[in-house]
Amino acid sequence: MALQRQGLNLLRRISIHGTTFTNRTDVRSYKRWVAPTLKELNIRTKKIGDTGEVKPTPRSSFLEWNYDAEVFAFGKRLGEEFNQDLLRKALMHKSYVNLQELQGNAVQSDGNTDLIKKGEDIISKYIQLELSKKYPDVIVQAIHNYLTDDNMLSHVGVHIGLKDIILTPEYPPETATIANTFKAVVAALEESSSLENCEKFVKDFVLAQLNGKEVFDIWEPEQPYKYLKGIKSDIEPRLCNQSAAKTILANYQVGIYSNKQLLGLGWGESVDVAKDMAALNVIQKIYNIK
Amino acid sequence: MSSLKRVQQWATFARIWHIYDASWQNPFQSAGLLKKYLMGTYKPIYHPLNDCGDHVVVINSGDIALPGDEWKKRVYFHHTGYPRGASWTLAWQLHKKDPTLVLKKAVYNSMDGNLQRRYTMERLHIYPDANVPADIMKNISNQLATPREVPKRLDHYSEKEVEEFPKIMDYPKNYILR
Repeated sequence: MALQRQGLNLLRRISIHGTTFTNRTDVRSYKRWVAPTLKELNIRTKKIGDTGEVKPTPRSSFLEWNYDAEVFAFGKRLGEEFNQDLLRKALMHKSYVNLQELQGNAVQSDGNTDLIKKGEDIISKYIQLELSKKYPDVIVQAIHNYLTDDNMLSHVGVHIGLKDIILTPEYPPETATIANTFKAVVAALEESSSLENCEKFVKDFVLAQLNGKEVFDIWEPEQPYKYLKGIKSDIEPRLCNQSAAKTILANYQVGIYSNKQLLGLGWGESVDVAKDMAALNVIQKIYNIK
Repeated sequence: MSSLKRVQQWATFARIWHIYDASWQNPFQSAGLLKKYLMGTYKPIYHPLNDCGDHVVVINSGDIALPGDEWKKRVYFHHTGYPRGASWTLAWQLHKKDPTLVLKKAVYNSMDGNLQRRYTMERLHIYPDANVPADIMKNISNQLATPREVPKRLDHYSEKEVEEFPKIMDYPKNYILR
């Protein structure tokens, strides 16, 4: 009897709040995690504000941040001997120096602008030198542009731990800033040790990004057959095989011949595609690229 | 993925269309052969879950040759599901009704009964004679070798060939051939 009354009370309480659970069978317990979770979510939403973005906290804002130790460890982590002053100079951007001067703080350095320029030259020259041993100029230029792109250099920069030790007003630093800092670090390394050492560094960190990539992933002529015709004029495409021509899975095999010699084969869903692919195959062989 | 890699994939999974002349062939022996192409088990990329089977167009299925007295002895059983719905059809009767069915059933029965079987059968195109639609003929790029040689009957030889064939004896002039 008492139990029934309690149940009735519960029902009444629920219906007072404006909702009636007609289909409700049993409630085993109050869910005590609901309110705290909603509160926490509310707090977090207010923290984010209207922009909807969570601003990352810079590591340097933490109490135990030790910039000297971080900069020292950066060089040691890479296994390179840096001149500490040069490395600090490489990490300090002009914008940061300007800001400090505006705030009336004395800064000895005048930023890493010249180091950026120097580092860029070193990276660019070395990559071109290394690639030109294997590839023709067109491909060298394409791969060079791919490797020295801001996105690629900042990718390298972030993963060797530059993001938190760059001295710049913006946080998180922009892609171009990280890429520039990486260039400056390369220049600082060159001045600290030797050019040879520095080139090994570029080889290990920048050139190594080609691992798992094929040349055709980075560079591909837009119209391969026309391009091939430009290199080698006495070529002739021939349809070698075809299958399922009247279906959606049609497949054609085209061979490119020169003087009755088969130079390369290509496949494709149409004859034109197959012809272009055969041309790519020939280009691959002519340029000796993998 | 570079475009070369893309077409490599395309060519790897391309479906080949084979043609097979069933005249004078044993359908049960042919079934084992066709199965290999329909399921794609001859390909290095084969896997039961990999959809890599080829198409096979079979022509002249009306001219198949059953071994021994199979035409008379082989029985195809069917049950409608209703009481007294069972029926037994002899191979020659079934062949008379539909000249593609004996071969079709031979291929169907040669494969394991799994979910793929009916989809694999969809890739088998059987024609009772050599009249194949032009659209189907354009897809074909390979001819499968038949396991049995088609025998040549005496009436297929020209009179001259018969005349010139070396004989071990000549009939006497006055011998009457009945």
